[in-house]
Amino acid sequence: MPDILIVDDENHVRKLYSAFLSREGYHIDTVAGGEEALALMKQKKFDLIVLDIELEDISGLDLLKQIRAEHPDVFIVLNSAYSVYMSDFHTWLADGYIVKSSDIKPLKDKIESLLVTHEEK
Amino acid sequence: MVEVADSLSMRIGETSLRSSFDNHPLGIFIVDNEGRIKYLNDEASRIIGLDSAKESIGHLIYDVDAVMNCGLDRAFQTVLGGRTYHLNEHRCSNCRGHYAVLNIFCSPYRNESNEISGILGILQDVTDSFKRKSELEEAIYELSVMGQVSEALSSAVAHDEILQMILTAVTASQGLGFNRAFLFLLDQKEGRLKGETAVGPGSPQEAGEIWNRLASQQKTLIELLNDYRERENNSNNTIGSLISGWEITLNDTCAFSRAVNEGIGINVFAGPTIDPGTEAILQRLKTQNLAVAPIISNGRRLGLIAADNQITGKVIRDADVKLLQTFANHTAVAIERSQLHDDLVEYAACLEEKNRQIAESQDQMIRIEKMSVIGELTSSIAHELRNPLTVIGGFANLMLTSEGHDGNSEYLNIILSEAKRAEQVLNQVLDFSRASRTKTRAIDFNQLTTQTYELFLARLKHNIKPPQLQIAGSNLEVWGNPDQLQHALFQYMNLTVEELTGECKVSFSTSKDNGLVRFAISFQGSDAVLAKVKKTLQQIFGSSTGTQKLSIIVAGETIKYHGGGFGLAGDSNKRPEIYIELPEYRGENNA
Repeated sequence: MPDILIVDDENHVRKLYSAFLSREGYHIDTVAGGEEALALMKQKKFDLIVLDIELEDISGLDLLKQIRAEHPDVFIVLNSAYSVYMSDFHTWLADGYIVKSSDIKPLKDKIESLLVTHEEK
Repeated sequence: MVEVADSLSMRIGETSLRSSFDNHPLGIFIVDNEGRIKYLNDEASRIIGLDSAKESIGHLIYDVDAVMNCGLDRAFQTVLGGRTYHLNEHRCSNCRGHYAVLNIFCSPYRNESNEISGILGILQDVTDSFKRKSELEEAIYELSVMGQVSEALSSAVAHDEILQMILTAVTASQGLGFNRAFLFLLDQKEGRLKGETAVGPGSPQEAGEIWNRLASQQKTLIELLNDYRERENNSNNTIGSLISGWEITLNDTCAFSRAVNEGIGINVFAGPTIDPGTEAILQRLKTQNLAVAPIISNGRRLGLIAADNQITGKVIRDADVKLLQTFANHTAVAIERSQLHDDLVEYAACLEEKNRQIAESQDQMIRIEKMSVIGELTSSIAHELRNPLTVIGGFANLMLTSEGHDGNSEYLNIILSEAKRAEQVLNQVLDFSRASRTKTRAIDFNQLTTQTYELFLARLKHNIKPPQLQIAGSNLEVWGNPDQLQHALFQYMNLTVEELTGECKVSFSTSKDNGLVRFAISFQGSDAVLAKVKKTLQQIFGSSTGTQKLSIIVAGETIKYHGGGFGLAGDSNKRPEIYIELPEYRGENNA
């Protein structure tokens, strides 16, 4: 069962993704900020991170760089209410970029495709 | 002279006294009743032109032709009748053919019995003083003419008006008095004299009519010049046609070229020694004698005035040319002043237009700045809304796909669809706000429309016939935020598809009219279809609900903030048309 970490400062968003992805068979952990995420990642290995960009304690893009530096093998999917960051070169460090929507299917599909590809390898 | 005559009458009998008048500055002579010369002093001899005063004694004065020329025969008849004779400034020529102006005084010479025994004559040569007086009078006249012309010209600024006044002054009898006058102006770039205007009668008959009329009016020169202004068009086509379209190069050796190149007035006479260029000028003007004066101001060659007496045939004197040259110098200042005035008027108009454009640009800049701020604001609001919508829609979705929701599935579907609709609105607002961040610049409107059209076609569903785009042939430029305008154009293009699919034939076009760049969406079809289209469009532009309406509002605001307008055109007899109009940008001069 793949381990997924949800990093989002919105409590209800964390709950939504947690409920939805748990039902899909993933093991979900959630945190609200960057420091908390880095601390947890030192204790536990995750297969994929769903990362919000506009966090309260740190920029999601800065956190992306740090995670990529410390955990180069983990999949990272940026998940933001803003589509404008798509044009930011730093987002290329991530494996996917999904704009938040009431339709969660695109996020689910992206996660699934990344993890299946990984398993096939 | 009278006192001298009285003195002489009393003492003439005394020989010793007679000799005292030999060297008198006045010419004195005495003749007897028969006209035999009894006395003649040296001055009288000189004035009459005789070789010797003494040798003339005893000769009949009637035999001396010069005396007759001086009009003394009439004087003698008067005096022998007992009366005195006095004639001032009598112009004549003496025995040697010399021109002289004389004051003549004759009185009866009486003997001791008080009988008239002869004539005492006194001649005063006033030739030099008369000449100086004439010169002075002529100078005063010239000054008067110049003064009047100056006064009239000082209040004239219109170029054509000044030119006509100049030529009127040259030809008026109260002015320089020439019969005809021609004005040529120098084309500074081409270095050619070009026939500009002419004044004067076209024929002797016309001359007679005009001059008689002017003479009867008895107007001063300044009245005549001011009268000219009140007449809208007094150009004489007959004489004007003589120089119309005539161009003379300054490289030529003709009198016109020499006058302008050397800055001198020339009195031109027809004759065998004349150069071919000048001969051609005289032939074209149908004259034998022409006064030519260059118009030069501060060393800058402006043109040339030519004048003649073709009707009267009066010979032009060098003094006339000199006066014309003085006049031309005067007119040079008036012409230059007129040109400066024209430049100033043009500059003022240009400045006014610039100020208007600056004010307009500032206004537009403020509007665009406001738009940018609004864009930032809507962006942050939209993002704040996206998270709750994600949660609402997400949980509804989650519940719908979970077990045990059968009784609420309808409501959950409603929540989900409304959340999606709200997200569409957010996407449109975000598109707009993202566009707001782009800086303003000059935009090729045709190119922008074409790019938007291509984007529109790429998103068009396959079952919809694409509208045609007709781009204006001329270059269309607008100033503003290209992303915002593209967003607005896209919304309008999209409107036609979303609302009017399959209804009728749609076409897009760009054009320019009266300083406005225009994008139009027009519709073709049967009357019934067009009526339906119009109704739909009226609902869109008048309705306040629906997401499509929001996009049109945002697009419309974008257009307005760019100083433009939009709307639905076409009355009951016309096909409906949606249009967007933006101010045309005319490069750096616009800003």
